[in-house]
Amino acid sequence: MIRTVAQALDDAAAGPGAYVFVDANGAEGSVRFAALRDSALALGGALRARGLEPGDCVALVIPEAAGFLTAFLGASVAGLVPTPLADPVHVGTFGAYLDVIAPLVRAARARAIITTPRLRPLLDALQVSAPTIRFVSAWSELTGPALSAAEPADADAPALFQFTSGSTSQPKGVVLTHANLDANIRAIGGPAGLGLSPDCVGVSWLPLFHDMGLIGLALCALYHGNITVLLSPWAFVKRPVAWLRAITRHRGTISFAPNFAYEMCVRRVKDAELDGLDLSSWRVAGCGAEPIQAGTLEAFAAKFAPVGFRATSFVPAYGLAEHTLAATLAPPGRDLRVDTVRASELAARRRAVPCSSDAPGALRLVGCGRAFPEHALRVVDDRGHPVGERVVGEILVSGPSVMQGYLSAPGATAEVIRDGWCSTGDLGYLAGGELYICGRRKETIIVAGRNYFPQDLEQVVNRVPGVRAGCVAAFAATEPGHPDRAVVVVETQGHTPGDLLQAEVRRRLLQATGLAVHEIVLVPKGTVGRTTSGKLRRVELRERYAAGTLVRTHPRARSPQEVS
Amino acid sequence: MTTRGLSLEAEIIAIVKRVSRRPVEPTAASDLELDLGFDSLLRYELIAELEDRFDVSIPLNDIETIRTVAQVREHLDALIKVGSG
Repeated sequence: MIRTVAQALDDAAAGPGAYVFVDANGAEGSVRFAALRDSALALGGALRARGLEPGDCVALVIPEAAGFLTAFLGASVAGLVPTPLADPVHVGTFGAYLDVIAPLVRAARARAIITTPRLRPLLDALQVSAPTIRFVSAWSELTGPALSAAEPADADAPALFQFTSGSTSQPKGVVLTHANLDANIRAIGGPAGLGLSPDCVGVSWLPLFHDMGLIGLALCALYHGNITVLLSPWAFVKRPVAWLRAITRHRGTISFAPNFAYEMCVRRVKDAELDGLDLSSWRVAGCGAEPIQAGTLEAFAAKFAPVGFRATSFVPAYGLAEHTLAATLAPPGRDLRVDTVRASELAARRRAVPCSSDAPGALRLVGCGRAFPEHALRVVDDRGHPVGERVVGEILVSGPSVMQGYLSAPGATAEVIRDGWCSTGDLGYLAGGELYICGRRKETIIVAGRNYFPQDLEQVVNRVPGVRAGCVAAFAATEPGHPDRAVVVVETQGHTPGDLLQAEVRRRLLQATGLAVHEIVLVPKGTVGRTTSGKLRRVELRERYAAGTLVRTHPRARSPQEVS
Repeated sequence: MTTRGLSLEAEIIAIVKRVSRRPVEPTAASDLELDLGFDSLLRYELIAELEDRFDVSIPLNDIETIRTVAQVREHLDALIKVGSG
């Protein structure tokens, strides 16, 4: 039977499960699902009392996990559609923040913004730029008669609008139904997935506006009735060991994070901090949301083996918001499966040809498992025909986890979903039934688990004095098995010294988007050109960048991340 | 005081340089973002490193307001003074 979010909450309330909230200073508070259900019914009643009707969208901007989940579930039990948005600290400066989220609020036709007392005065301005907004309120200040029971909802009604990134040029809000959430969460936690049970203990520092944090950890815990410990993302970023200490203290069994988080632990957890850690309870160390590097996971396993970490705990995963969250998970409890192939054959012939790891140009790709039961996955060529074993093509997915479509964008939806198959925009191959990811057709740039669209970066750079407006291209320099590097190619005009221009472009991008780009390439007039579409231009420049044939007007200045 | 002040600044600069992993020599006037390319991840890493070295606790809310190396120093100076009574 398909459960709605509210039904999952009702069921969870009858069990012993709970969220344990750890604030930025490390103070902990546990809230049983039964108590959370009461708070949700109270908040849901307050929202209805403010005139919201079932089916209305409410946007959530709440950095703290306890408030976020109360508001999310309050909206759910009232039959409203919660739409999580990134909070300001995650998106450049505050001025830029409003520009980033206003288009999202408009695309979702949000009727209200639920936030915190601290952010409410700042978000009030959205009532001007998003006319559908009727009120902006702090979740903790909303009062009204509590609902006696959840508003019944149809399985095919929207449960959640999930934005894949804060894009000003093309906000992509994924519409997920209760049936989508139920299918994906059951697949993740089911016997063919992680085998979740009420005695599992989840630990997460992932932001809850991010689908892996919200669906993969928080909602998974609700649907499976287990305890999940939620830390502040910033507590992790400041001290990565905080994550591992929470796992130690709560005997955590399940935790997921993007590759960069494992890398941060390898680099930043000091030897002295290993004292007191015990990671022997950690059964599922999931890794997804950005390209996975075998070397990072191996280094993590080596560093933390002395405190009980087992390399067999790694569960590499592949997924996308358009497929609710996860598309494949490697089976828990096995060794990391690494396929070593020739880079040259992969690029030139689209073949994954095995080679030894010391061969020149050897690439080590991590196996991400196979499709879930009741779901399907195939790899196709440019004409959409399935390809054979070890042939690279685009990955398509189908089944009950595929989204209903994009918000207010039927054209974009039709481009992605055809005959029930959803194009992922990612390139990969199958070998021995296992999926390996090795590139991307879509233009998204993924850095530290966050998605950026080239159009948004280009828009920011176009306004920098000394840049030839319209002659800017942004793309991800990708290498299979390596993290993305964001590159911006810029035609210059006037006499601004190159290093000043690069610094200014870097600063504007950081402020507007929070992204630190890998390289800003200054090129002579005519390099970027305007004749072709943005997409073709980016593809061409990306190839020339990779081949090293771009003529530069100023020598390369490397990003901080690269020089180590 | 002057000697101690200078050495505090030198130490901060050394830590900033190490965290930035960039072949640029920071100065007191360096802007973390503009000159040294600090994004939010690096900024938090810097704060953790400074806390460890100087045995202080820097509130999370202050992290976003510090812009330059000189401001890092002012912040630390205040915290160290409070700490030593």
